[in-house]
Order: sequence, then C-alpha cells, then structure tokens
Amino acid sequence: MEIKLFITILFSTIFINNYVLSQTLGICPFLGVSKKTDSAAGMGFAVIFVMTLASVITYFIYKYILLPFSITYLRTIAFILVIASIVQLVEMAINKLSPSLYRALGIFLPLITTNCAVLGVAVLNVDSGFITKEFGLLMTIVQGFGAGVGFLLALMLMSGIRERLETADIPFNLRGMPISFIIAGLLSLAFLGFAGMSF
Amino acid sequence: MKDIIKPAAVLAAVTFCASLLLATVFAVTKERIAFLDSEAEKNALAIVLPGYSITDTAKTKDNKIYWVGEKTENGETINGFAFISESPGYSGTIRCMIGVDSNMTILGISILKQTETPGLGARSVEIASKNTFWDVITGSAVDEGIQFPWFQQQFAGLNGNKTVQVVKNGDWTPEMASDLVSQNAVSAITGATITSKAVVDCIHKGISEYNDIIKKK
Amino acid sequence: MSIKKEFLKGLVEKNPVMVLGIGLCPALAVTTSVSNALWMMIATTFVLTCSNILVSLVKDYIPSHIRIPVFITIIATFVTVVEITLKAYQPEVYTSLGIFIPLIVVNCIILGRAEEFASRNGVFISIIDALGMGIGFGLTLTILAFFRETLGANKLFGYTLIPGFKPAGMMAIAPGAFITLGLMLWAMNRIMVSRKHKK
Repeated sequence: MEIKLFITILFSTIFINNYVLSQTLGICPFLGVSKKTDSAAGMGFAVIFVMTLASVITYFIYKYILLPFSITYLRTIAFILVIASIVQLVEMAINKLSPSLYRALGIFLPLITTNCAVLGVAVLNVDSGFITKEFGLLMTIVQGFGAGVGFLLALMLMSGIRERLETADIPFNLRGMPISFIIAGLLSLAFLGFAGMSF
Repeated sequence: MKDIIKPAAVLAAVTFCASLLLATVFAVTKERIAFLDSEAEKNALAIVLPGYSITDTAKTKDNKIYWVGEKTENGETINGFAFISESPGYSGTIRCMIGVDSNMTILGISILKQTETPGLGARSVEIASKNTFWDVITGSAVDEGIQFPWFQQQFAGLNGNKTVQVVKNGDWTPEMASDLVSQNAVSAITGATITSKAVVDCIHKGISEYNDIIKKK
Repeated sequence: MSIKKEFLKGLVEKNPVMVLGIGLCPALAVTTSVSNALWMMIATTFVLTCSNILVSLVKDYIPSHIRIPVFITIIATFVTVVEITLKAYQPEVYTSLGIFIPLIVVNCIILGRAEEFASRNGVFISIIDALGMGIGFGLTLTILAFFRETLGANKLFGYTLIPGFKPAGMMAIAPGAFITLGLMLWAMNRIMVSRKHKK
C-alpha cells in the first residue's frame, strides 16, 4: 500500500498535475530555456536537483523550527532564502564541473531562484499536510523529485518542438512568444488526457 | 576579514528588521485570524448538524477531533456526530466536514477546503444565485437570504452505510431530492464527475474511519 | 525623466507581461476570474511599490555583491505582510488566490524593477515606476481574466452572464490560459509594429 502511495504522488506530479502544463508554474524558464534541447536538458536536471534538495531542507525547517515556535508566517522568507542559497551552491558546482554547461545556461541558472515551480513545490509540500503524516519526509522527497521530472519532461517536449519550428514558416507577428504560448497550450491540452488516471 | 563582516552585518540587520515588522503585523492580526477560524468551524458545524447543540468535543486515538451533538425532537433526545475527513480530489486534497446521526444517515456535509478547477470542480462550493450579472448592475437583484451550495445540500438524508451513487442529472434542484434519496444518489457537477466522485469518496472514507466510534455511543 | 513617461511605460511600451515577458506565472494561474486578477494587481502593486521605496532608500548602504539576497528578503517581507493581512481581513480572497500569494515573491517583475530601477534612482520616481508597472501588469491580467471568465465560466465577478449558455470549460483551465495569452501576445506584436511604423 505504501509503494502505491508513492507511485501515485510520482505520477500525479509528473503527468496528471504537471507543474508547467497543468499548474502553470515555472513558465518564465520554461519559455526562456526551451529553445535548444541541450540547454533544456541541463536546466531540467539542475531544477530536479534544486527542487529535491529544497523540499528536504524546507521540510526540516518547517517541522522543527517554524512549527514549534509558532512562526509559520515566516515560511515565505525562510523558504526563498533556502532556495536562493541552494541555487548559489549549484551555480558554483556547475561552474567547477562543467564550465561549458555553465556558459550555455547563462543567466537562467541564477534565475532558478525565481522559478515559481521551486518555491511552489516547497509551499505545496507544506500545504499537502505531509509534515504530520507517517513517511512525511519520504512523501516530500518524492513530490519534490516528481515535480522536477515533470518540469524536465515539459521542457524536453517544448524544446523538441521549438527546434523544429526554426525551419517552419510562421507569420511575422506570431514568431517568438505568441507561437510558443499556443504550442504550450496544445501540449497542456494533450496532458489533460492524463486526468482521471488512478491506480 | 572586513570583506565578510560588513556584508554579514548588513544581511543580519535587514533580516532582523524584517522579522520585527512581520512579528508586529502577526501580533496585530493574530486574534482576528483565530476568530475567523473558530467562526468557520462553528458555521460548518451548524450546517452539518442542523438544529443540534454541540455537547462534546472528543479526540480519537489518532488525535483527530470529532463532535457530539444533541437535539430534542418529539420529546426524544437524539444524538448527532460530526467529523472531518480528507481525501484526494482532482487537484489537491478535499477537506470535508460530515454530520451523521446514530444510524449513519448523513445529516449534512460542508466542504471546508478544496483546490479544484474553478468553473468545474470548484462548483462543489458554488452557491448558485438566480441573479445574473445584469441583475446586479441594474440593481434589480433579488435578496435570496442565506444559501447553500446545491452540490453539498443534496447529501442530506442519504444512507452513509450504503455506497452513495453518482448520477448525471445536471444541476440539482429540490424537486430531484426524493428521487435521488431513494436511489441513495447525488447528481454530479456537469463536466466535473471526478471531483463529484472524490467528494463521495471523502465522505465514505470519513464514515468508515469513525464507524466504530459512533457505533459505541 | 518625466513622471508621465515613467508611469506610462509600464502600461504599453514596457508592459511586463506582454512586452518584457516576465511575471507570467500569475498571469496564467490567477486569471480564472476578473476579481482574482484585480486582487492580484492590488497585492503585486503594493509589494512592488513598498519594495521599490525601501530599495531606493537603502541602495547606498548595501554592498553590491549581496544586493540580490537583500532585495529578496525585502520583497519576501512585504509579501508576507500581504499574506497575513489578506488572511485576516479578506479570507475568501486568500483562499481564492491560494499559493499564488507567497509566489508573488518570485514574480520576476518585482526583483527586476528593484535591480534595474529602484537601485539606481530616487524614491519618488521609483514609486511612479512601480505604480506604472504594477498597473500595466494588472490591466493585462484583467483583460486576460475577462476573456477567461466570460467564455470559460459564463460569469463576471461570480455572477452568471447569459443564463442557459454552456461555457467553453477549456478556457477556465491551463490550455485556455496558454492559448488566450498567446493570441493576446500576437495582437500586442501587431500593435507594437504599427506604432513603430507611425513613428
């Protein structure tokens, strides 16, 4: 029964309630980095790492600091500062390990801090009530990881399509943002097909 | 060394001022928020146990609260029980308060929290007003008094021991009541069958959870 | 630097959503009803204005390499003020806007204006900039919400518009948001092009 619960969370965050295509979170980087599949993949993996780590750290901070001292209203500040620090660390790590990826991601790496999906998953973890449940930490990790994978999936789909669009004949005023949004809308429509999936 | 001290001091000062401001705002609004929470609870209890007066608040062994109420009808004192149940909806968790009597007949439900799709699943908490937008802006709106969401109203009178069916009869009207109660069914929200079923599941989950406790009383 | 020019730029020329392409997450998620869009405009403009004021006041005392964490803390503080105030005095709006209230802190518009404008200009003109950007953001959201609420739920401000008309449910969910915004961006591009030709 427990495995089923985790698979439900995983499928829910990746397909049924995909953070980008269903919950419309993380749109800025979604449109900004999805022009080439390589940078999209790099960004996607970075986001998976940041989301999972952020989910864990914010879980502990909420459960052992904010709740016991009744200062849950400091949640927004605490969470965003945690995320900003994690992103800073990831930036330094990528710069050391793969300078080419660092250059390819450019400004979008520090922008993971302002990715609504990362703060969103941290807040949703708390709102889902995982803190008071048995296996709460594991559920939080699975949800954070799944959200990142869902984001990666949406990014890869979008970048695959946009690479093809380079050679398509698009009306002048539709180029760039407008056509990207319409494509995202069609992808979102397709993902609606997952609604009602149950185990 | 100075390179680290000045930035650290600035950050510390900023965070300190921030916390001070927030602690003040929180202190000012704390009472009002607590008041709103208890009002919401009272209102929900009044809906799920209509006409009952709450005599007891108890906790299960999992530390969940449930309420016991009493009502005098035809000279007899009958008991009612209210509890809260949570279960997954289409998007997010649905949190519902349910009131039953000792025979597990549902007296009323009140959806406390839901994050379903606006216009579809969120219609489960929608209070259908017969006034249209034009009525409101031309000032010809009719005062309809206190109203309840039709989707939740139709659960009153159903048998909690048997499975509640979900049928597709469109928006519920009071005329449908007798038919639906005899089928032990509720009419789903058009286009939001998943949310409708999720609310039913939530109720069943709550009833099976509190079944033993209520049987004992 | 004229007051009129700085205010108006946020409405059309540098409209955050339509031209700069920032602040997109709330634009898609919160525009299911006009009332939500208007409240989001009020909340975001409040945070943006307060943040611009404070950043402009302290800009000379913040060492450059820690300015981003300081800005984030300032913004998060005002977002939390809005959170607590709405929860206490407008609980229905609080529930309606949900997680998008704390997500105002990662609205790229606010950090963007703090970094680009308020950290380089005086207090008064920063206020004007904030008001222009906030209202421009809000107007875009309101127009988007107008289409989505009327076509997607057959309602306006929660009241039915045309009795008996079955609305296009798709407009009320994510795909409708993407596609409508895409079409609005297309229209905006057309307007920008014709303005350029006029000059």
